[in-house]
Amino acid sequence: MKRSMLKQSLPTAAIAAALVCFTAGTARLAAQSGAAKTAPSAQVPRTADGHPDLSGVWWRGADVGGKLPGGGSITAPAGGRGATPPPTFPSLYTPAAAAKAKTLSDKDDPALGCTNTAFGTLNVSLFDVGAVGQIVQTPKFLIMLTETYNSFQIIPIDGRPRRTDIPPSNRGDGVGHWEGDTLVVDKTNFTDTSWIYAEGRVSFHSDAMHVVERYRRVDANTLEIEAIIEDPKVLTKPWAVPKQTLVLAPFDQIMELACSNETQSLMEGAAKQTANK
Amino acid sequence: MKRRALAVLVAGFGALAGGVPVWAHHSFAAAYDTTNAITVHGVISQVLLRNPHSWFVIDVKDASGKVEQWSFEAGTPSGMIRNGYKKDVIKEGAEVTIKGFRARDASQNRGMLRELTTADGKTYGMFGPQEGPGK
Repeated sequence: MKRSMLKQSLPTAAIAAALVCFTAGTARLAAQSGAAKTAPSAQVPRTADGHPDLSGVWWRGADVGGKLPGGGSITAPAGGRGATPPPTFPSLYTPAAAAKAKTLSDKDDPALGCTNTAFGTLNVSLFDVGAVGQIVQTPKFLIMLTETYNSFQIIPIDGRPRRTDIPPSNRGDGVGHWEGDTLVVDKTNFTDTSWIYAEGRVSFHSDAMHVVERYRRVDANTLEIEAIIEDPKVLTKPWAVPKQTLVLAPFDQIMELACSNETQSLMEGAAKQTANK
Repeated sequence: MKRRALAVLVAGFGALAGGVPVWAHHSFAAAYDTTNAITVHGVISQVLLRNPHSWFVIDVKDASGKVEQWSFEAGTPSGMIRNGYKKDVIKEGAEVTIKGFRARDASQNRGMLRELTTADGKTYGMFGPQEGPGK
């Protein structure tokens, strides 16, 4: 391996700038995490304005490679068990999308080159490419921080309309509103250069993708997330993402870890090798 | 390159059940040949705790003293750390033996790490210490 290949891809300045904005919520976050460890109350924490406070570090009970508290390990959610498994994103491809998918493989996944996913691992956008994410909630914003590829999303929750003057991005632009105790986050304005990673499968999507996620903190330690994804250029109908249940992690700060594209050349080499056989 | 002279023991003991992670952001099976198990002995030159997956880079010396570099892909760094892996526990210069599966692209000296054993006999899997809290 040539060391020159080991270039990092870190949006460090952007992350740092974003984190400066998050300080208002950090004290509450730390207190919340401590309370969660000592008193698993059913009471949902609330902000001063009365809304549920979704702040915290959330996961499925373990990181990748670890064991869940009840046994077993994190695996990609299956498409469903039983006679009629629920549809997956690729199962709803239009004929054109299905034809395009046949020309692509894992090696084409831009995430191998450290590009963030538009909709992330384990069927929630909070994780991006990983299994842990952090939410910091302020009166104006819900801030989602992802660990594996160090991304952030700043989602207004104070009733303002969606911005119309920003370019598309790999993770889209979101705006939120409360429906009772459920926070509804509506994301559009995606590029078509990122992929999604859900149901254990990677897939391309289009710039017309529209993600609506519904976040509900059902008790102090539990966050439920449901989502509907529309992509009229790729899917024949909206994909109803199976509901995901996350729990508070026993730590209150995610890590910032660098990313390198080592795997990309490996996958490309493997694909060439296979094609030559 | 004479692989045998590099102390790289290629042993085709086949795909091992559980040897390939069932969940990753890319298909390990697409990148690595699970019928091509390899064992490499050498000295750590770099440990890269980086996303999406970590890498152990080792210098392997052949009988003539010529050094060739090999790299083995491990787990995502956050998963390794939360399973008890300490960032400085395996340092540059440490003598290790790595068992893994070779990359399908044989032009690259790379593999998927299954087990790393240090000189004092401690073993590490793809996600850190074999005796880690997640095991």
